[in-house]
Amino acid sequence: MWLNPIVKKDVRVQARSMKICWGVFAYELILALVFFLAMFVIRQDIRYSYDNIYSQLVWLYPALASAQLLILGMVVPVRTAASIAGEKERQTFDIMMTTSMTPFAVIAGKVMTAILQSMFYVAASMPVMALSFVIGGMSWSYLFWFMAVALLLSFFAASIGILCSSLCKRSIGAVLMSYGFYLVFFIGTFLPYLIFYVIDADNIARVTTYGGPVYSDNLLLFLLVNPIVYVVEFFGHAMAGGTLMGEMVSQFSAGPIAFLTDGYRWIAFSSVCIFALSCLFLFLAARRIDPVKKHRVKHADGGKSAGKEKDADRGDASLRTHGK
Amino acid sequence: MLQIEHLSKSYGKFRAVNDLSLHVPKGDLFGFVGPNGAGKTTTIRMVCGLMLPNAGSITINGVNALSHQREIKKQIGYVPDFFGVYDNLKVKEYMDFYGSMYRMNSKEIERISDDLLELVNLSDKKEVFVDTLSRGMKQRLCVARALIHNPALLVLDEPNSGLDPRARVEMKELLLNLKSMGKTIVISSHILSELSEMCSSIGIMDHGNLVAAGRIEDVMESVFGSNQLIISLEEGRETAVRIAREHAGVRIDSVGEHELKLSHTMTQKQIAKMIGTMIANDVVVTGFHKQEGDLETLFMRVTGENAGQEGEKENVAESYR
Ligand SMILES: Nc1ncnc2c1ncn2[C@@H]1O[C@H](COP(=O)(O)OP(=O)(O)O)[C@@H](O)[C@H]1O
Ligand SMILES: [Mg+2]
Repeated sequence: MWLNPIVKKDVRVQARSMKICWGVFAYELILALVFFLAMFVIRQDIRYSYDNIYSQLVWLYPALASAQLLILGMVVPVRTAASIAGEKERQTFDIMMTTSMTPFAVIAGKVMTAILQSMFYVAASMPVMALSFVIGGMSWSYLFWFMAVALLLSFFAASIGILCSSLCKRSIGAVLMSYGFYLVFFIGTFLPYLIFYVIDADNIARVTTYGGPVYSDNLLLFLLVNPIVYVVEFFGHAMAGGTLMGEMVSQFSAGPIAFLTDGYRWIAFSSVCIFALSCLFLFLAARRIDPVKKHRVKHADGGKSAGKEKDADRGDASLRTHGK
Repeated sequence: MLQIEHLSKSYGKFRAVNDLSLHVPKGDLFGFVGPNGAGKTTTIRMVCGLMLPNAGSITINGVNALSHQREIKKQIGYVPDFFGVYDNLKVKEYMDFYGSMYRMNSKEIERISDDLLELVNLSDKKEVFVDTLSRGMKQRLCVARALIHNPALLVLDEPNSGLDPRARVEMKELLLNLKSMGKTIVISSHILSELSEMCSSIGIMDHGNLVAAGRIEDVMESVFGSNQLIISLEEGRETAVRIAREHAGVRIDSVGEHELKLSHTMTQKQIAKMIGTMIANDVVVTGFHKQEGDLETLFMRVTGENAGQEGEKENVAESYR
């Protein structure tokens, strides 16, 4: 099997630098703090109830898991920001583009590196995480689901980071831009609903009072790509065994939202949406770093027929290579 | 091997390369020379597929380079005008990294990179971190890296800039070595004399235009009109002048006490014969040498003229220094 050379090189280079050691150290330190904080809260709770402390340890799971997702969310853009911009700063990017590596292979290599790193951190946290399963009596399947969620959200964060990295000249710009993207996803996805609510409050009040189909709730569909809602929904299933989105929408709502807020549908569909969006970002990043494509778009306005000819030619070439 | 036709490239309104046509035959060591900002890098980047031209075509080994990028990339080794190296990576791993980008298997890479490191004289540095190498070594490593997939065409952009004289000599030897192995090499530089020592043909670029191209002798001739020959002699000046006059394509520029300056369009053989005739006729020839048409003068003349024509504000001679 052909291992993407970028993964091999990046992992090797990073393993040699001290950064990764400090990274894991900081990661574990934060988790330890969260652990003690959670234990403190649990103990305070226990004092006024007859529950035994062991069963309350299940609450370590959402505490530690969300802390980890938060750290990964903050760290992944920083690490991926340098992926393309850093190669450009180091001027190795041009050399890479003159080799047989396709832009997509470059992007794929960078994503894989980022995900591997995230998983490295997650694996390092396993002993602490395991407490809530071993002692708290939480179902082991949730350990698996947590890994899956961490994987998906790392992929999402990495794709944002890499897209920004391909758009920016400097790594630092890419980091800031990634956090900007986060804001759009965290807050921006609520906006359509909120704006509509403010504008049309009377109507909503009327409809909810007298019953009848409410279509405005479909504006909440934007939340499918909101990672925070995704995580909250995930813990809703894990800890409370119910869907939280289902409680957010009106009982009279109609349309796709009514369908999606039932059972596991939301989390399943949201996973698909986040995955698809990540793939779209990666596709855009690959397009962006392709030195040849970028310019072709530019002179399409100059000579349209010439551009088309080239397209046909190119299609030919790719067909042939596929045929081989 | 490399055929460029009517290549043009603009950055916005600025025309960096203007209607450039060029042919580099197989096995040639071609020097691309011009002052900074002449458009050498731009041209090279287009040849390597890092940029699309606005107009024109590039053909490599009979394959259209603009439409068949993927096949072309296997035929070109590119050494950019900077060292692209990583920290924390060993020489061996550096070679392996680029080798695997061409989907070569690791055994193959190891074998070839051993040979290449031997060729560029870095065999003993295999386990050394790339960023600790000297500039000259890095540059040679870059050449080895560019050769890992055995390309037919090697393109080097200003490989000598920033190297000390010793490293330059080593680089020159390396390139001549590669040429003898049958590689076609294109090398750019802003210093003509550096190239004239190794290149068989050159192209002189200025302000995006190719102002002269061909074999060095031909370029000189086309610029100076003819070659100059200086014959030093002790006796028999009159005889020498008479003999020189008898030859077609010879003009006598000046006759000094012990010196005869000629302009000519003869081949080397004809020159040798003419001097032989002089000696046979009792002219005491103490020496003769080709007036090398002085490359720097040639360069100045070619690039200077052009700047004048285009009405450019900057003095090329100055920007060249
Ligand atoms: N990316 C770019 N954007 C705008 N102008 C550029 C760019 N790259 C090069 N140029 C301009 O094009 C001209 C040719 O540059 P270049 O090909 O690098 O010259 P050379 O390599 O011969 O020194 C220069 O005047 C330079 O300022
Ligand atoms: Mg240059």
